[in-house]
Amino acid sequence: MSGDESKKANTRWVVMTGLLWVVATVLGELAVAAIEWHPFGASREARITDDAFDLLMVLSVPVISFVLVMGGVALVRGRGGVIDEDGPPVRSHRLFIGGWVVLTSALAVLVIITPGFSGLDELRAEPVPDLVIDVHAERWNWVYTYPESGRETQGELVLPVDQRIMFRISSTDVIHSFWIPAFRIKQDAVPGQITTTMVTPEALGEFDNADELRVQCAELCGVGHARMWTGVRVVTEAEFEEWLAGAGG
Amino acid sequence: MNILRGLVGGALGYVVGAGLMMAIRSSAGGRAWEVESVTAGAWLFALSGWLLGVGVWRYWARGWFGRDVAPYTATGGRRYLDFDTDHKVIGIQYLVTFLGMFFMAGLFAMLMRWELMGNGEDIVGPDQYNSIMSLHGTMMVFVAVAATVGAFGNYVVPIMIGADDMAFPKLNAMSYWLVPPVLIALTASFLAGGYDTGWTGYAPLSVQSDVGGLFFNLAFFTLGLSSIVGAINIVVTVVTMRAEGMTWTRMPIFVWSIFVTAILSFIFTQFIGLAMLMVVLDRTAGTIFFDPAAGGSPLLYQHVFWFYSHPAVYIMILPAFGITLELVSTFTRKPLFGYKWAVGALLGIMSLSAVVWAHHMFTSGMAEALRKPFLASTELISIPTGLIFLCALGTLWLGKIRFEVPMLFALGVLFNFLIGGITGVFLADVPVDIQLQDTYFVVAHFHYVILGGGIFGLFGATYYWFPKMTGRSMSDRLGKVHFWWMMIGFNATFLPMFILGMQGMNRRVADYSPDLESANFAVSMGGFFLGTSFVIFLFNFIWSWARGPAAPADPWGSLTLEWQIPSPPPHENFTSPPLVLSDPYGYGDPDSVHADLARDGAKTVVEK
Amino acid sequence: MTDHATQLPHVTPRITINRAGLWLFFLSETMLFSGILATRFSLLGTEVHEDVSQTIGLVITSILLASSYTALRAEHAASSGDRATCAKYLWLTLALGAVFVAGVAYEWAEAFDAFPASTEFGTVFFLMTGVHAFHVITGLIFLAILLNNARLGRYDDDAWPVEAGVKYWHFVDVVWVFFYPALYLI
Ligand code: HEA
Ligand code: HEA
Ligand code: CUA
Ligand SMILES: [Cu+2]
Repeated sequence: MSGDESKKANTRWVVMTGLLWVVATVLGELAVAAIEWHPFGASREARITDDAFDLLMVLSVPVISFVLVMGGVALVRGRGGVIDEDGPPVRSHRLFIGGWVVLTSALAVLVIITPGFSGLDELRAEPVPDLVIDVHAERWNWVYTYPESGRETQGELVLPVDQRIMFRISSTDVIHSFWIPAFRIKQDAVPGQITTTMVTPEALGEFDNADELRVQCAELCGVGHARMWTGVRVVTEAEFEEWLAGAGG
Repeated sequence: MNILRGLVGGALGYVVGAGLMMAIRSSAGGRAWEVESVTAGAWLFALSGWLLGVGVWRYWARGWFGRDVAPYTATGGRRYLDFDTDHKVIGIQYLVTFLGMFFMAGLFAMLMRWELMGNGEDIVGPDQYNSIMSLHGTMMVFVAVAATVGAFGNYVVPIMIGADDMAFPKLNAMSYWLVPPVLIALTASFLAGGYDTGWTGYAPLSVQSDVGGLFFNLAFFTLGLSSIVGAINIVVTVVTMRAEGMTWTRMPIFVWSIFVTAILSFIFTQFIGLAMLMVVLDRTAGTIFFDPAAGGSPLLYQHVFWFYSHPAVYIMILPAFGITLELVSTFTRKPLFGYKWAVGALLGIMSLSAVVWAHHMFTSGMAEALRKPFLASTELISIPTGLIFLCALGTLWLGKIRFEVPMLFALGVLFNFLIGGITGVFLADVPVDIQLQDTYFVVAHFHYVILGGGIFGLFGATYYWFPKMTGRSMSDRLGKVHFWWMMIGFNATFLPMFILGMQGMNRRVADYSPDLESANFAVSMGGFFLGTSFVIFLFNFIWSWARGPAAPADPWGSLTLEWQIPSPPPHENFTSPPLVLSDPYGYGDPDSVHADLARDGAKTVVEK
Repeated sequence: MTDHATQLPHVTPRITINRAGLWLFFLSETMLFSGILATRFSLLGTEVHEDVSQTIGLVITSILLASSYTALRAEHAASSGDRATCAKYLWLTLALGAVFVAGVAYEWAEAFDAFPASTEFGTVFFLMTGVHAFHVITGLIFLAILLNNARLGRYDDDAWPVEAGVKYWHFVDVVWVFFYPALYLI
């Protein structure tokens, strides 16, 4: 092939790769949008977290599809090489390298770090709780105390809906972790330390209907670790007041 | 037999150390014998005794006392059981030892998957499950940290830079012979009933665990010693032993990757030693580093541990990056694209890896203010890591591609690590990590990077350099079957784990809620499928070593120095010191010559 | 693609290789000791502890520093092939080092009552002095071997082992220069 022709052929491959990339990205994004990635979510925090996850999903599609398409095209185009035939001695390509460095840096800083920061800020907004609950972990169960009423429970965590709740978490023996999958909150219980986390439940429900409504220990704490969980029940405010006061629960 | 002498030496060392410890204990008014304190104290003595017995005394230390060192007489296969100082022997010792450890740990994984196949506790109780899981993780981490650097860093790097051996051959042998005590400690831990802390051994749980936990600490500590000694050796070798003309910018990228890995290793491994030491002291000497009731701090352990263990994940992956780029260049018959950017990427990853450790601690209760800086620094690592992909893609483009078995593994690394790396970015995002931390999403992430990246790289390197190391060829067809079997099995096992994690399955549990059963069943099936693929590898490996057809000096048409000398290389590697004239990526340039190996007229045999 | 780059001398002298290894070892050890210092500050903040004996601290620190000087003299003597002087100074260094260890041992005996390992300060104190003393003791063993060999004239042509042992000794002293204020003064 003359230089001109090979240049043309090359341009055609580049254009084709670009097109394929666009197609793959569009298809990928459609697939990502069509799939429901998240389990049952029932809190303000769940919305923030799931949005953050979805954003990353959307961003990673073009990155993954670019690497796969460009690599795939190169493999298909160059297949059938033999030991005596060398490829062209290309060692560098300014536009490709420059573009890559600029784009990945921009991607990392602007569309990953920045939303990460704002997501964190959002989680930390509204720092004033309506209700405080003390959570105490010990091998291998959870004890919940409602300081205002002095009520203490073990088998189940009962929470009012639409209230800003702060958990003050502590542990006596080893590290545990206070995790409610449906709320997307997790905070280690560290002996000698009181850690806190906040949540606003937004949907009624209980463990019997939704597996994710459970307090699950998420830090290895010994033999009973897997079984260190209790159900969560989210009730209306009125029901909650009643429950707190009553002997019912 | 030197190994026997080593065992006797180790036993004697233990007795002496134990005596000393018991004397100290009883003079302090305590009970003389208490297995943990005595063993912890005696371990260093036992280690020294083992090393002296296995060869340090005969071949080395006698000289310090003015005696003649014994002549080294082992030849043939016996060299592999001896205190041999040839870097090529040591490389093979590392390879075989750690492949063995890999298969052991893999069998533990099979047990785990068996238990997790169905909901409920079927095969093992939660206690045994935790032990098996911890041993699996620990041994695999040891493999990932030490196998590639130990085997190929030793075997290939000196030849690639045109040296006749490592800078400190005796220290090199010593760093290998520190590995059997690691195996002994792991076995002891297993026999003592294991430990239930995971490979991360978080305090205070690890302070309270059974005696098996002590052996875990000692094993990790000892592996750390071995890594530090080996790493210093590699750094000095690369800095001072390069052949004439082997400038920094002519070094093969694999040498660069091992060099940078070794720097990470000798700097950060001290911290795992410190972490283990503090746990051992808390267990046996009554200190209170991690006991909050007396003023200690559980989070301190996590900081020290991850200050090592995060850089350690790059110790696991950088050699695989080096291999991948090396293989991609060889099998596309093109120069490595953007060589300087690849080197820059390695150095960039090295520097950043020191400042990201707390991304493992986003939910740990550390100061809230630390979250943002660690989020940012972790995300920044994507940029240099991306450069590795840039160089790989640039090399593939326009390449004349040969799908040889090593190349398939290199492509496997690129595919798997892409997924592993991107999911790492998810985990670095604090809001997302809060939900996913300690779930199977994390388990899937790190299997994608360590197994999909690091271990695929290790197998690629094994297929690639096997002909050089043994002088025999491996079966190409079996190799291809192994690759596809492993690649499919791997993705079938670990892709669904991401979903499991998102659905709320936490890690380190023997039991889970019933609605996760079908996904877990699928994962287990994938796991067994993956496991069997290694039977093919093992057969190919052993059979080819014993019976395989003789390999030519340069079966792949590669230009780096190790392929310009016979397979297997002669003891002194080169008949005359090579003169390096350009970098080893002169594909497509007929005038380019990497090195002159026959400067003083000596001939080296090279056939294709 | 043959470019003209600066070329390494064909064979790096053995002594350079050895020195490179030694310095990397020190760098690695520096990380260990920095980790220990960081641990100390993370557990104790900048708290001062009254129970440590300032006199002993000052005395053993001076002794260790003095031993660095005698070690230096031994190295110089060895490199000029003066085995008698070398041996003499190695002796002195050994003796001073032994006094230092004895001082630490005395401090330990006191510490078991005043601030045992089960206290915050005791924990840090035993870690710092313990790891350091371990290095001092290995240094003493090296020095003893060196002394024996120096007397027999084994270093007359090659003083590298003396240099290595002495550099190690200096390194251990420098570590103490950082540990001493962290334990006794801050
Ligand atoms: C080989 C080992 C290895 C490697 C290389 C990595 C690489 C990365 N890891 Fe991973 N990680 C582990 C091994 C490894 N990890 C292990 C073992 C654990 C669990 C330990 C335990 O708890 O037991 C873990 C856990 C872990 C966590 C903690 C999870 C938790 O417990 O909550 C986090 C959080 O930030 C994380 C992040 C990352 C990131 C951001 C990278 C990055 O380096 C990845 C960078 C790569 C890419 C991003 C892809 C390529 C880049 C491009 C194509 C360029 C364009 C892309 C962008 C700009 C985004 N890892
Ligand atoms: C190098 C790293 C590495 C590798 C290769 C693997 C390989 C595998 N891992 Fe690994 N894994 C870890 C590192 C690794 N793992 C770590 C660090 C942890 C965390 C531990 C912790 O939480 O502390 C972990 C945890 C972990 C878990 C989570 C446990 C839990 O949290 O409860 C699971 C679950 O499925 C799992 C599965 C597997 C499987 C199925 C494989 C398979 O790939 C295994 C393949 C099978 C074999 C290799 C066997 C082949 C053997 C033969 C064919 C027989 C040959 C016979 C002889 C030689 C006699 N691993
Ligand atoms: Cu409590 Cu796990
Ligand atoms: Cu990390």
